[in-house]
Amino acid sequence: MGIRAAVAQTAGRATTRLLKLAGRPASQLPGRVALALDPSLLSELAKRVRLGSIVVCGTNGKTTTTNVLARAVQRAGHSVWCNWRGANMMAGATSAMLFGKEADWAVIEADELSCVHLLPALEPRWLVLLNLFRDQLDRAGEIDRVQDSLVEALSLSPETGLLVCGDDPLSVGVARRAAEAGTKVVAFGIDEAMPEPPDRVPEARFCQVCGAELGYEWRAYAQLGAFACPECDFARPALAWRARAIDVTREGVAFDVLGPSGGDAPGTAEGAAGPWRIEATFGGTYMVYNLLGAFAASQLAGVPAEAFQRALDGYDPKNGRLQHYLLNGREVVLNLAKNPTGFNQNISLMLTDERPKAAFFVINDDYNDGRDISWIWDVDFERLAGVAAEGKLAVVAGGHRRNDVQVRMKYAGIHAPLASTVAGAIEALGEAGYGANGAPLPLYALCNYSSLWIAKAELDRDGEAL
Amino acid sequence: MSRSLAICHLFPELLNLYGDGGNILTLAKRLEWRGIEARIREVRVGDVPSFSDADIVFIGGGSDREQRIVCEKLLAQKAELKAYTEDGGALLAVCGGYQLLGHSYVMGEETLEGLSLVDLYTDRGSPRLIGNIAIESDVSPQPIVGYENHGGRTHLGPGVTPLGRVAFGHGNDGESGSEGCLEKSIVGTYIHGPLLPKNPGVADWVIARALERRYGSADLEPLDDEEELAANEVMYHRLMSHQEKD
Repeated sequence: MGIRAAVAQTAGRATTRLLKLAGRPASQLPGRVALALDPSLLSELAKRVRLGSIVVCGTNGKTTTTNVLARAVQRAGHSVWCNWRGANMMAGATSAMLFGKEADWAVIEADELSCVHLLPALEPRWLVLLNLFRDQLDRAGEIDRVQDSLVEALSLSPETGLLVCGDDPLSVGVARRAAEAGTKVVAFGIDEAMPEPPDRVPEARFCQVCGAELGYEWRAYAQLGAFACPECDFARPALAWRARAIDVTREGVAFDVLGPSGGDAPGTAEGAAGPWRIEATFGGTYMVYNLLGAFAASQLAGVPAEAFQRALDGYDPKNGRLQHYLLNGREVVLNLAKNPTGFNQNISLMLTDERPKAAFFVINDDYNDGRDISWIWDVDFERLAGVAAEGKLAVVAGGHRRNDVQVRMKYAGIHAPLASTVAGAIEALGEAGYGANGAPLPLYALCNYSSLWIAKAELDRDGEAL
Repeated sequence: MSRSLAICHLFPELLNLYGDGGNILTLAKRLEWRGIEARIREVRVGDVPSFSDADIVFIGGGSDREQRIVCEKLLAQKAELKAYTEDGGALLAVCGGYQLLGHSYVMGEETLEGLSLVDLYTDRGSPRLIGNIAIESDVSPQPIVGYENHGGRTHLGPGVTPLGRVAFGHGNDGESGSEGCLEKSIVGTYIHGPLLPKNPGVADWVIARALERRYGSADLEPLDDEEELAANEVMYHRLMSHQEKD
């Protein structure tokens, strides 16, 4: 490492220590300081990763996937650099790699549009691409642009393989173009027919190659499923890593994984094949994909399957994703919902809970959230009108844009009072917050990005984590 | 007499970029709440649109590629659409749909032919004009608030009235202070996605034009718009009191 990089690293480390002394989060600023002194520091730090790097990206689920994967690599006895808290641009990745002389692995979550910088710097063994949905159009632009940027990122790091969700036409669109340019592509996906999901296909109904409307043998959620173009050869690719015997319940998900075998599976922990049973106490259908992607990546990193399951068993990242609390005797479920697909999946998950319940929908429009919240009109809130009319669901609108949420609810046929905190939401519910026997109803607090941390801080302070 | 309006939603599968469906939902609910039937026709990709029995036509925004497909399909029906708007048929076009109303618009390096329903044209400028917007308009008793995100710069012909004057944000070209267009019963605007929910005045203006054309008079029963107007007021206040951060 040259003098410039060493100075930058020292400055980044000092910044981290100062922030920690001040009790401030150190997931971004240290990297920003260090990169200002040496813009190429990340590629210097990458040389100190002994075995390899894996980068995880995708619109939804990347923080959970990254955390599970990094824990599994740790469980296998390796040291890991990871941006655990989801600071997923250059500064966040750099902050995660400032300490320690070296690490066995780097497992790095990447914002889709940051891959074009992160990949050439890290030259990871694999890029895991989970899914692409419409999100933050004001900042990220249209999905076409995100796809172009990912193809470019892979072209800038030719040794990086792409581990892609083969059930997502938009991710497969990226994979197809990358493969044409020489990238090695390995696909994962679900290998059995899924029951018809209640949501709509919000995007990507059309062939990535010829524009014809895609046909589906079955669909898992959003645009993910066994798709094929009726007009050309664009279709779900052959899957190397497959999930079967899938069980999705309120309590979590379980499924078998089958891997490639023999000569198709060099470098994997067990020479692949399987099947392995994976069980987690959280998530819905979308979590099958996250865990399948994480598992396949862990196998490709040589992690034994039982280490992966042990990482899942103790998984409790306390990062606001599906966190359960007790607040004054009331169960509160906190989760992130930051775009139409995420919200629709949360609604599906909430509706599997048949108890009468309350919901607090919280939408902020800070820079990190995206300033444009037009997307709330693409969420299928209409699915809640039935249970609300039966008196089994009461809704409160929150966040800086609570008035907009309230109007959205009105047009879905639900009257939602306003509140600015979780405690305020419970107060706004009044009698509707209690069941016939007087017991407090469970409350689902679904928050977009910046509002999640505010609600979490309130619940950490006033509630009890379950 | 029970009344009924046909709403023609053009290519929702292609033009659904920013919550455009909220506009159709708003029209449908505001008709339903007044006891007026709303018949919603979604014109799908393979369909040939017909405007002969339409009362309200809606065109949303899409990505460049999708917008081009839509424009080609609509150019084939240009004469019929022109006859519909000449007859006073209500047409609401937002974002990319607004650009299609003019003589031409620009996509990448290419200038493409538009529908020429309104004397305007669109070229491109830099940077993109992105952010919250508020305008004052004759069609709505309240200011119209929403969000804009467009690289296009739209220039109105000499006889064309803008939908409103920009109070906050950019509008047609970021310079002239005009936003959108208003001609006969055509409303075009860069205020994209869910324009109508928070701007019930605009929704009712469109509904009233359609009722007048179909039944001779609007007779629009007032609704309780407390929640809609509160959302409108909160955003307008935030923009005009310079609390809007960038």
